[in-house]
Amino acid sequence: MQTRRQFMVQGTKLVAIGAAATATGPTIFVRNAKADTTLKILQWSHFVPAYDKWFDPWAKEWGAKRGVNVTVDHVGFADVVPRATAEVAAQSGHDVHMFLGLASAFEEHVIDLADVVANLEKKYGKQVELAHRSTYNPFTKKQFALSDMWVPDPGNYHKEIWSKIGMENGPSTYDDLVKAAPEIKKVAPQMQIPIGIGLSQDIDSNMAVRNILWCHGGSIQDKDGNVVLNSPETLRALEYTKKLFSVGMTQAVLSWNAASNNQAFNAQETAYILNSISAYRTAQDNKLPVIPNYFFTPALKGPTGIQLASEHVMSGYVVWKFSKSQEAAKEFLVALVDASRDSMLGSKLYNFPSFYGAAAEPNTPANRKQESGAAWIAAQCNKDPFGSTPPDKLGLLAKSLPWSTNLGYPGFANPAEGEIFDTYVLTDMFAKAATGALSPKDAMAEASTRARQIFDKWRQKKMVPGGGKDK
Amino acid sequence: MNTTTVAAAPVLHAGQTIRRADRRLGVIMLAPALLYITLLVAVPFLLALFLSLTNSSAGSLQFSFVGLQNFQNVVASPVFRRSLRNTFVFTFVSQLAVMVLGNILARALMRPFFGKTVARFVILMPWAAPISLATLGWLWIFDSTFSVINWLLKVVGWLGPGQWYYWLGDPTLGMVAIITIHVWRMLPFSTVILLAGLTAIPNEVREASAIDGAGTLARIFQVEIPMMRPILTVAVLFGVVFTFTDMSVVYLLTRGGPFNSTHVLASLAFQDGVLGGDVGRGAAVAIFLVPVLLVLAILMLRSSRRAEVV
Repeated sequence: MQTRRQFMVQGTKLVAIGAAATATGPTIFVRNAKADTTLKILQWSHFVPAYDKWFDPWAKEWGAKRGVNVTVDHVGFADVVPRATAEVAAQSGHDVHMFLGLASAFEEHVIDLADVVANLEKKYGKQVELAHRSTYNPFTKKQFALSDMWVPDPGNYHKEIWSKIGMENGPSTYDDLVKAAPEIKKVAPQMQIPIGIGLSQDIDSNMAVRNILWCHGGSIQDKDGNVVLNSPETLRALEYTKKLFSVGMTQAVLSWNAASNNQAFNAQETAYILNSISAYRTAQDNKLPVIPNYFFTPALKGPTGIQLASEHVMSGYVVWKFSKSQEAAKEFLVALVDASRDSMLGSKLYNFPSFYGAAAEPNTPANRKQESGAAWIAAQCNKDPFGSTPPDKLGLLAKSLPWSTNLGYPGFANPAEGEIFDTYVLTDMFAKAATGALSPKDAMAEASTRARQIFDKWRQKKMVPGGGKDK
Repeated sequence: MNTTTVAAAPVLHAGQTIRRADRRLGVIMLAPALLYITLLVAVPFLLALFLSLTNSSAGSLQFSFVGLQNFQNVVASPVFRRSLRNTFVFTFVSQLAVMVLGNILARALMRPFFGKTVARFVILMPWAAPISLATLGWLWIFDSTFSVINWLLKVVGWLGPGQWYYWLGDPTLGMVAIITIHVWRMLPFSTVILLAGLTAIPNEVREASAIDGAGTLARIFQVEIPMMRPILTVAVLFGVVFTFTDMSVVYLLTRGGPFNSTHVLASLAFQDGVLGGDVGRGAAVAIFLVPVLLVLAILMLRSSRRAEVV
């Protein structure tokens, strides 16, 4: 008679054999079966759907010319990171993965694209600084991603309302928002949220609170990677936000998702939002009544005189180490940068080239390409080919580079900044201070503790510098 | 003696062969279940336990042991403590509501009325609908700017000028919204189970209680509910386990906001471990589910045995 123990031992052996077979089977039977003849690309679902209609056939056509079977899969922007996590864990999936913002946490699993960037810079001149700072780790000296595009993040204002309160060109400083909010309530009492800056757990709010922090002189890290969130400047930014919330915002902004500010502005329920032009394009496509009053302002200035806004979206293409089509992937990325003009037009001027020189007139000498590319970009913005009235409505975007910066400012983007971004440490701090859930000082202390924990963890992994001058 | 021994030998051999074949068959039949439990339950659980003691991150296979550091950080975090509290509130309140409403619905469905089949179909719809699609619908219903509930309340005069409920922008209302959706989602399951329990009670028992003078309430509380206790226990325990480990409604509706105040443990573990990439911390948060689930699992197995459900 078999005992229960013997029975379980036998069963366990069978399970172990099955598990081993499951794990090793693919490596024995299918290794290198289709190396370099296929290229699988993971893309986000673009905020301007017209871009996907351009990108997918363009990528396939590029592949067809080179005998590479290209597959493009799209995921919502919120699924880009979870999908990467799953593919890294499985060590299989796509060859090229597009991140929005920070890919730095996955540095260990991607190939170095320094040669690709060097070739592109030789061809087109330097990439924009914020792209460099988002895709290169100076600490490990690795070019872990390649950015083909970035997106400016201007203010969007309702011209009629702002004209009624004597500010026809919209706000130019953060202080203007506080002054304008009570006036907007008077001239437009039907409007639910005079100032629609999100303080929620979403991508737009994450950008917005960084803008406020930077323009008040604060930041999460200094240029050397020391955590400096615990500062009088941060406190000033929190006190400002608390004041703005009390005079011009409602609790609605605490719950917004990425589409909410677009919807509120397009429904004329708010007079000012921070957003790229995707909301504007949606309003155009749907011929919404807000269109004649839909106008843009550059980043606002803080009391320090600093005028900065985070890039709204920044592509960071990586090629996984487990990819069997690495050379094809590199060629694809070069081709994507080469197609910067088409990419910008395909996205209805949402995407701005990270290599301005790639938008240059054909046959321009190498040393003039950046200048030529900038001129072409300005020409598009000054005469919007997608039907703005007036045609130069988007003209300020051509001059947005000086007031745009990277996540991680004044330092480089790094995995610690990425984790703070993805776990909403800053929006949490701002929302708690604004609503009085915590005092500004306590909210800052809580967020600062968490930020230091996160930085310390990444420093142990030797992927983030600093630490000697943490506050 | 010798003859007996020689004669008995072939009979014993045949019995052993059959038993051995039976055992082999048993092992083969059990192997898929064992494989499933080992690969999809035991291995991930042990891995989570292991990872919670490391500084593992999502994009890296390198990590070092940090002892109980993750647990210390997590316990010190106000967001975690709030999530722990939310998990219990979410589970307790939603299960209570589900059981009360499920009972009412099941009793209503036992009675004959016009359109009963359609009513049953409609009640079962939330169970069949994909939660992602359903939550998107609810997102519009509870939207802080365009909430259809608020507009309705304005029309009927409940909300005056300047009054507005920010369903997803207020920690308390956010939890109300989350619980509402979860109750809506779980109600059909509970109703069907309770309906099965009610129909299993013989009519003679109800008639006997009526003859003995029991009123409606006495019949429900002193006859029917005691008779349904085994199946009620199973329904509650299944519901509690399902709710305690669920993150879909929270993630889809509020993403844990405002200011991380509506997270439950499962959604916080996802945010920290997958979105934030801090696998060690995410695993530590998730491990806090284990003691409660262990107790629930034991209770569930015991009650199942009593109810002879499994």
